[in-house]
Amino acid sequence: MEEQMAKIDLSNISHTYNPLDPKPTYALNPFSMTWENGKRYAILGPSGCGKTTMLNIVSGLVRPSKGEILFDETPVTDLKTEDRNIAQVFQFPVIYNTMTVYDNLAFPLRCREFTKEKIEERVKAVSDTLNLSSFLNSPARKLTADQKQLISLGRGLVREDVAAVLMDEPLTVIDPDLKFRLRRNLKEINEQYKTTLVYVTHDQNEAMTFAENIIVMDQGEIVQVGLPKDLFEKPKTTFVGYFIGSPAMNIFHSTVSSDHEVKINDTTIKTNSNLGNLKDKNVKLGIRSEFIELAEKEKSNTVKIKLTRVEDFGNFKLLTGKMGDLVIKSKVEREKPIPDGELNLYFPPEKCCVYSDEKLV
Amino acid sequence: MSKLYTFLKYFFITFWTVFVVAPFLWAVSTSFKDFQSVNSKVTYIPWLDFEPTLEGWRVLIKSPAKGGVDIVEPYFNSIFVTCTASLISIVLGTLAAYALSRFTFKAGFVRNNDITFFFISQRIMPPIVLSIPFFIFLSTIGLLDSLLGLVVVYIVLLMPIAVWIMVDFFNRVPKELDETALIDGCNPYQAFYKVVLPNSIPGLIVAGMFCIIFGWIDFFFAFILTFTEVQLLPVKVVALNSSITPWWSLSASALVSVAPLIIVAFIVERYLSKGNLSGALK
Repeated sequence: MEEQMAKIDLSNISHTYNPLDPKPTYALNPFSMTWENGKRYAILGPSGCGKTTMLNIVSGLVRPSKGEILFDETPVTDLKTEDRNIAQVFQFPVIYNTMTVYDNLAFPLRCREFTKEKIEERVKAVSDTLNLSSFLNSPARKLTADQKQLISLGRGLVREDVAAVLMDEPLTVIDPDLKFRLRRNLKEINEQYKTTLVYVTHDQNEAMTFAENIIVMDQGEIVQVGLPKDLFEKPKTTFVGYFIGSPAMNIFHSTVSSDHEVKINDTTIKTNSNLGNLKDKNVKLGIRSEFIELAEKEKSNTVKIKLTRVEDFGNFKLLTGKMGDLVIKSKVEREKPIPDGELNLYFPPEKCCVYSDEKLV
Repeated sequence: MSKLYTFLKYFFITFWTVFVVAPFLWAVSTSFKDFQSVNSKVTYIPWLDFEPTLEGWRVLIKSPAKGGVDIVEPYFNSIFVTCTASLISIVLGTLAAYALSRFTFKAGFVRNNDITFFFISQRIMPPIVLSIPFFIFLSTIGLLDSLLGLVVVYIVLLMPIAVWIMVDFFNRVPKELDETALIDGCNPYQAFYKVVLPNSIPGLIVAGMFCIIFGWIDFFFAFILTFTEVQLLPVKVVALNSSITPWWSLSASALVSVAPLIIVAFIVERYLSKGNLSGALK
């Protein structure tokens, strides 16, 4: 079988659903991106941020208002969906009700006129991976919702030559246990067949565990592209800080007091950021609750807080405290004794992120 | 409380069944009577109350020359006109409905819903409003008093029903189904007939049933647009009446007229009970 998988380039793409309006609103603001062949990507963002539009543009269901899509340097912007060799799985199971499970899985191959033997081989392989072998001859409409979604998934995976498999929150209807197994299966499929997988989700855990590269989107913008570690430790905007991680990043209003220091409520915090150009400006200081440490006594880079709540999550404790009217959350080890009332928290300078106009300095 | 509920439930079901079935039983019994058994005294049970006769049925197939009213030819005319018009209406109506459901049309202030309403509005008008235009139209193209002319008129009457039912049906078929078919490698036509259409069989059956019923029972246009060459069943049945009402042959003709609809109802009911009409995708 000839390898046809491709590098996908999205070049200056933008899209609006009301192009004739004098003031069109953009579902996707101009962006460029490259999806390398054989990698796993997750597109992460809240509902309505343009994730689905982006997928539909790649699969050709939506033609972008501006910009160009290239598969292996060949422009495909004007190519119809059926000629693009893309597989797409939607949020809710879409199955061909009138066909059996086998015919459902074979349909994409039949449409592309594969030989009977090849179809049989591929359907068998895919149905084994997805645990559908025992249902092959049942009518597809008789299956349960999660089995139906497996069929949708199977139709995407059955063609080994696809440029990419696009999945739009495909595991929403599948129960958690199977979800976990399927994510691992998808990873294996990706490693085995080197199929590019693009996975849209609003669940950060799903994105983090599945993908090598995460694309965070908000309001039609791509906010950050990077490895899970980067997103966690160095969020490029306060939005990423809020959106990724549980609990969200601690973010405080503060003012720059010197080249490397900011002031929160008269407490000076040293950071590793270069703040020379921002002297006396209002900025925001962000720090993950995971990185805040308990300090035994007051020293540099500590803040004094009044403890308001301790929540035990089993594997860790979440402390919520107040410094004036600022709320600070900190994750500490379960075993650590927590003093009552007031306590000191240490902000490691290398973990402090400073944001000016919501963007990382 | 629940006993009372059960009692009332069965009471009303029984009442309703009698209400629906009684006229049929009356017609069946009457169709085997003669003048004497209808007009002398009240009679119910054959051989006991009255001597059954096939005269009422024979009249329907005897030629007028022998004192009968031949309904065989009008019967087949009706079947031909109804089936042809229904079939064409379903084909055209389904295509129109698919387009109205999947594409956005704009012409001035006219949008998809307005076009759909325009189709239905054909049925809102009292038929009498259409009779003169139809008459003039058919006489201009020389199709007055012909089967083809009736087929044309019936398509106008039946297509709105097909469009109306199918638009609603297609709107409930998620567009992701079409999109999936495109992604799987169908072109838009293949997506329609390989994927969307097989999924729409329940809708097609319902639309077809309505078309057949409305086509079959139409008296008004059949009466106005035909004279001697071509006659349809409803017109012929009415023509059975004379100074002495022939209850026996009227009953017999009523039964044969209603028979095809009962058969259609049985077929659709089978389909309904198989659960295929639920038509859900998710």
